Amino acid sequence: MYEHLLYPKSIAVIGASKDEKKIGNVILKNLLYYGYNGRIYPVNPKNEDIFNIKTYPSIKDINDEIDLAVITLPSQFVPDSITECVEKGVRYVIVIAGGFSETGKKGAELERKILELIKGSRTRVIGPNTVGVYLPKSKVSTALTLPDRTALPGEGCLAFISQSGALGLLTMDTISEYGIGVSAFINLGNRIDLSETELLDFFKEDENTKSILLYLETFKNGREFFNKAKDIVKSKPIVVLKSGRTEAGAKAASLHTGALATDDSIVEGALKQAGIVRAYSETEMIDYGRALGYQKPLTGDSIAIVTTAGGLGVITADYVASETNGVGLKVATLDDKTKEDLREVIVPFGSVENPVDLTAEGSTEQYDKVIEILNRDKNVDGLIVYALFQTAKVDESLIDVLEKHMSEKPMIVGILGSKFGKKMLLEAERRKIPAYPSMERSVKAMKVLYIRGKYLKGRNVE
Amino acid sequence: MSQKKVIEEFEVKEMLKKYGIKVPNGMLISNLPETINLDYPLVLKVSDPNILHKSDVGGVALNIKNYDELKIKFNEMKNKFSNSKFLVESMEKSGVEIIIGLIKDKTFGLSIMFGMGGIFTELYKDVSFRLVPIEEFDAREMVEEIKAKKIFEGFRGIRASKDAVISMLLKVSSFGNDHYDEIDQLDLNPVIVRENDAVVVDAKLISIIP
Repeated sequence: MYEHLLYPKSIAVIGASKDEKKIGNVILKNLLYYGYNGRIYPVNPKNEDIFNIKTYPSIKDINDEIDLAVITLPSQFVPDSITECVEKGVRYVIVIAGGFSETGKKGAELERKILELIKGSRTRVIGPNTVGVYLPKSKVSTALTLPDRTALPGEGCLAFISQSGALGLLTMDTISEYGIGVSAFINLGNRIDLSETELLDFFKEDENTKSILLYLETFKNGREFFNKAKDIVKSKPIVVLKSGRTEAGAKAASLHTGALATDDSIVEGALKQAGIVRAYSETEMIDYGRALGYQKPLTGDSIAIVTTAGGLGVITADYVASETNGVGLKVATLDDKTKEDLREVIVPFGSVENPVDLTAEGSTEQYDKVIEILNRDKNVDGLIVYALFQTAKVDESLIDVLEKHMSEKPMIVGILGSKFGKKMLLEAERRKIPAYPSMERSVKAMKVLYIRGKYLKGRNVE
Repeated sequence: MSQKKVIEEFEVKEMLKKYGIKVPNGMLISNLPETINLDYPLVLKVSDPNILHKSDVGGVALNIKNYDELKIKFNEMKNKFSNSKFLVESMEKSGVEIIIGLIKDKTFGLSIMFGMGGIFTELYKDVSFRLVPIEEFDAREMVEEIKAKKIFEGFRGIRASKDAVISMLLKVSSFGNDHYDEIDQLDLNPVIVRENDAVVVDAKLISIIP
């Protein structure tokens, strides 16, 4: 079922136009620009070919199954268009236009009409008031972005569901700079039909998705979402960025419980109970999605830190251990045998205590051996490794070393620096090594591996 | 719109008892009987669905040491609340005061709350929520995620059983789940937690009449 939406074999653009100012023109052009790998059907009653593609007066004239239709017409024309899509048996319809419930009663009436029209049919609606979808594998974008202003990320394993179109596009633009990819992006818009809850099911089934990220302002049906998410997190991590935290929405406060029950305090509890990791910014959402998608959960809370710069080691140790200004995990106490083994590898003035400091004398080979030794220590549950390329003995093959150790204990990599650092970050990302350009982000990424591990253990999930 | 109704404390406590939730020994009276078969000291409270916050209106007398004292307090209160019933209970030994609550949330449905009792509850808003029903794992996390969690881990020699709290949270969750559609809000405040047990001292329930 979900394949028709996430991997459409055919797309109809209703309201396709030769007029460059029309949405129907831009969307068709973008399908061609990104190189959509399926069959394209422009629909326009004038029946002239657009961009040399055969155009149909009505979607019903197309002699093919239509997986996805994009209605680019203004709101008042949408119901008639939906009627035809239902008759044609189109699977998914994206309604781009605004002018619905967000504008008032008349718009809300149009939404009710659409829901009435699709009732009992196999046609499902995304939106209205949406930028639609971005499907990198199928090379589809229905967003009205200018390619020279907004970049879209490549293929990856993060599914991204957003209630806001603009936030979604901006976030994707930002991450594309770091080589981070998505499996799909779906903007819910006014969310009259297809909701975040059903999409969880789609992405649970989708093999290309390793973690599911959501930006939500409200839940369409909180209890259903909770039940579904609680089930799905057992196999796939879910990260939620939920806004509206400071809304003072306490309940009718006749009792104490009511006075204390703000909307967000219950959201907070529900997310934890469902095993959803909560993010508080778009950066955290992506960071956590990558950590959880690329790396296995932590089974304990003792962290070993590897660095060639002493300062990074101690700051990270503080951040790992502090309950108030850190994440409240433990800096692992290394086994004596580990320290002996490390002593064989590291220069005499380096540190074999945790944080393990290879010093500026540290080399790629030393990193390799040190990570191997720490992986053998039963007191170590996870590793934060700073891959620092500023010194002479460390070269690019350190990324190969890190990749080799990805199958061992959970490891988060910190790569600080500018041009060269970014080049290495991109290389790490290409190999799905969770690497971050700051200490704080590295430590917080480790923390979410701990949260997930603790949750799965608490729920007895293998 | 559904109607809401306050359930009398005695009735709430009788319901809670069926779930193995500990409440003080007590009885509901309209007039003072010749003998009271309860251990002193006693507590006397007005029991009236129209009076939700009893202590605000002088409807609670604590630490009543003998029958004569009870008689005086009862007559005083009977004078004030002539049409009400009264709940007389054995007074519980002190301990750490917590609050456990249930509330219907418009997005997520019935939710359960845990927090420290007393005036600090609302000052610090140091509370945790989960959705009903909860499992033991959830109950434990609810206790461990509040800032005052160390109270239940032997802080300064305070003896308050974490297991008793967890057990009560699970029982309140079961109660909530069985009466899912009937509960608007429930306050168990305070619940007294001691070394080996926890007991509900005051209970307020607002129910929904469908």
